Amino acid sequence: MNIWSYVFRRILYIFPILLGVCLIIFIMFNVVAPDPARVMLGKHASVEQMEQIRRELGLNRSPVVQYIDVVKSAFTFDFGRSWSTKQKISEMISQGIIPSLTISLPSFILSSIIAICISLVVSFFRGKLIDKTIVFACVALMSISSLAYILFGQYFLAFKLGIFEISGYEFPNFLPYVALPVLIWIFLNVGPDVRFFRTIMLDEIYQDYVRTARAKGLSEFKIMFKHVLKNSMISILTYLVIQIPYLILGSLLLENFFSIPGLGSIIVDAINASDFPVLKAMTILGAVGLIFFSVLTDVMYALFDPRARLK
Amino acid sequence: MKILIQTLIMTYLLIICSCTTEKTFSEKEINIGIKAVIKGYDPIQANDTYGSVEISRIYEGLLEYHYLKRPFELRANLAEEMPKVSADGLTYTFKLRKGVVFQDDKAFPNNKGRELVAEDFVYSIKRLADPKLMSKGWWLLDDKLVGLNEWRQKHSELETVDYDEVVKGIRALDRYTLQFELKRPFPQFLYALAMPFCFVVAKEVVDFYGKDFQNHPIGTGAFKLSKFSAGANKVVYYKNPTFREMYYPKEAYSEFERLGHLKDAGKRLPLVDKISVSFMPTEQPRWLNFSKGNIDTLEIPKDNFNSVLNDQKELKSEYTSKGVKLEVAPSLDLTYIGFNFDKEIFKNKKLRQAIALAFDNKSHNKLFHNGVAQEANGIIPPGVSGFDSNFINKYLTFNIQKAKELLAQAGFPGGKGLPELTYDTSNSTTHRQQGEFFAKLLAQIGIKLRVFTNQFPVLQQKINDRKVDLFGIAWSADYPDAENFLQLLYGPNKSPGTNDTGYNNPTYNELYKKSAIMQNSPERTQIYEKLNQIMAEDVPIIPNVHRQFYIIKHKWLKNYIHSDFEFGRAKYLNVDLKEKAEIVPTL
Repeated sequence: MNIWSYVFRRILYIFPILLGVCLIIFIMFNVVAPDPARVMLGKHASVEQMEQIRRELGLNRSPVVQYIDVVKSAFTFDFGRSWSTKQKISEMISQGIIPSLTISLPSFILSSIIAICISLVVSFFRGKLIDKTIVFACVALMSISSLAYILFGQYFLAFKLGIFEISGYEFPNFLPYVALPVLIWIFLNVGPDVRFFRTIMLDEIYQDYVRTARAKGLSEFKIMFKHVLKNSMISILTYLVIQIPYLILGSLLLENFFSIPGLGSIIVDAINASDFPVLKAMTILGAVGLIFFSVLTDVMYALFDPRARLK
Repeated sequence: MKILIQTLIMTYLLIICSCTTEKTFSEKEINIGIKAVIKGYDPIQANDTYGSVEISRIYEGLLEYHYLKRPFELRANLAEEMPKVSADGLTYTFKLRKGVVFQDDKAFPNNKGRELVAEDFVYSIKRLADPKLMSKGWWLLDDKLVGLNEWRQKHSELETVDYDEVVKGIRALDRYTLQFELKRPFPQFLYALAMPFCFVVAKEVVDFYGKDFQNHPIGTGAFKLSKFSAGANKVVYYKNPTFREMYYPKEAYSEFERLGHLKDAGKRLPLVDKISVSFMPTEQPRWLNFSKGNIDTLEIPKDNFNSVLNDQKELKSEYTSKGVKLEVAPSLDLTYIGFNFDKEIFKNKKLRQAIALAFDNKSHNKLFHNGVAQEANGIIPPGVSGFDSNFINKYLTFNIQKAKELLAQAGFPGGKGLPELTYDTSNSTTHRQQGEFFAKLLAQIGIKLRVFTNQFPVLQQKINDRKVDLFGIAWSADYPDAENFLQLLYGPNKSPGTNDTGYNNPTYNELYKKSAIMQNSPERTQIYEKLNQIMAEDVPIIPNVHRQFYIIKHKWLKNYIHSDFEFGRAKYLNVDLKEKAEIVPTL
């Protein structure tokens, strides 16, 4: 199959998937969820007021019209206004994305680089004590809950030792505030990343071409970096690209504990306030991001590895 | 490879070397950490505690609670004096203070805030009634002012709202005279005017910012907001340079005088330059920031209780030595378990009484409120007239034996023949544990109880839809009057109104209706007590506790008094910079 027709077909798949996602979101928020009128009015609600609110929010329109609204917003990214803060949701997203990215991006880049380096070391020393020790350490790191890292980091490193700020965020001077969350994020990610990358690299190391390279007398350093790493990169990149949408949405727990006003915080606040338009927007954003990046991954795969194209 | 790893570690270490910010103590600044995010600054939407407090830093009303008097007492704020009330109690006439100006803003000509006039209040009250704005405070004036409901009804069917149309119930008689006309006596009306829902906004500002108005608060208050974006993790207020002449009160409730809250008597307000409010949703950062001196005051988190207080519930020496102070503030609230009267089974009074007798309130208080809440003896909290500390509610005396007897008399000996009951509550860990504790107690008399936890809106929805058996919920006072609690059992207020139980007792309803239009008097207090007794005998709810706030404060924070009605408190607060500069480095 021609590469372009393959790409075109993958892009076409986006539409039915998006329609399905919108349907699920619509059912979740418009059928299953509690009555927003009650949510908004609080403890002194009356029947008349609840009717009025439903009318103002357009909840008394036909379900089909409301579903079309959801689909429209998935394509135009116009999500309307938040119920609780009355702000434009697109504005809230653009304000929240930067703080989220100031934690997630450095964490992601640093933890990926560190994990790749460690994986190279352990796959080089496969089966030896250093390999076993590091793999054991990775499993241990993964076994600790993220909350424990946060509580310990905040109490011990920030409060007791005073190396970091306890919580807060300022822009553009965000460095003091994001250093500790970034460190925690790295600790959280390195364990699973190393184990995954190590497996990929070991797959490569046992390939025939590596043996041939050794037979030709290439140095181990060259073999690891030029051949093994290069050929592992396809799988590694796939794994990393698929994580990008999650970076944009930030980390609910980290942002909540460190009072960082990113998208993670916005989601938590929206959940607490039952702010459905914001929750809908975030769900759509996450779904669109995931669909887009998974298509991108497939296309990259097809470009780099012709065997991967679907017949 | 080694070089790469070394470089990474070195880089990170270099970064974190610059990872704490310097503290300076050059200006008087109050630092506060709050749990809930600020949603915006529109007074008509101020239905949560945190939001109301933030709004009241910028906006003001005709009246406010005297900061240093207890029991709570209203005094004139933007009004020049307390209103003149007609003999029939229906007409309230206010004279406004002259020379009060709105804060400077580009919404006004030449960026200069203009003078406040009576028409501003007319406009602000109409905003509260405007059906298009979906105000969360409309209940407060619903069916109270002549013509206002009709105005609201008419405009809910029209595309646009005409604010120029005269409403008889609220009129500006001249530039500084404002008159309210009530449909029937409403003794709590003045309390209503002291609530943020009735604070004054300027029409120009509302029109200028349109849908974003709630992110651009411009009021007459002592503080001005620097910049706001909903969802921000910190907001900073500065002293309003055009704030009117106002002075710290010279008289106080004796206890406050003893605590030194009159040291600033006669000084011009506000006393500080700046207020920083940081949003800290989780307990640990709030606690650590207080311990480091980054925030000035804090309600002691439940889990830190025993590490901060000794067995006598006093501060431990390690805290007093750092100058930390403790304030115990009773809250005008009530936590309770309600029965759903729409379920046939709960019309059985003996069953309700049996369940109430099986509830061990003392242990409940110890387990879930560190033993410091006040166990309720009825629906009225201490601190308002109608509360009788000597009243003994015989169904709140925890008596398993008696509960079993009553259950048998109800027709369910040992719980036989009684279906499994459900208990719905909120979804926090504490609420879940409270539910499990209740289930364990009922199991002792043979009643099976299944606990369901729900997000708060879902819980409300379930109660509304009458899908619950028993439910656990709380009520906090809107104003310091027992009526605000007694209305929880008034028949016509049935859900989705505030009467979640659906209890409907004609005797109770009659008495309540009678008391609701009486001014505060010994006769009214007597009726309140009678209503409480009816409730105690009938057991439509099982009252649990009135909570108490345990607040810790750093020594440098002056004049801080915790209360349920903190609107406008910020202007009275002060900071001793010398003390702060001495203490903070030692924390």
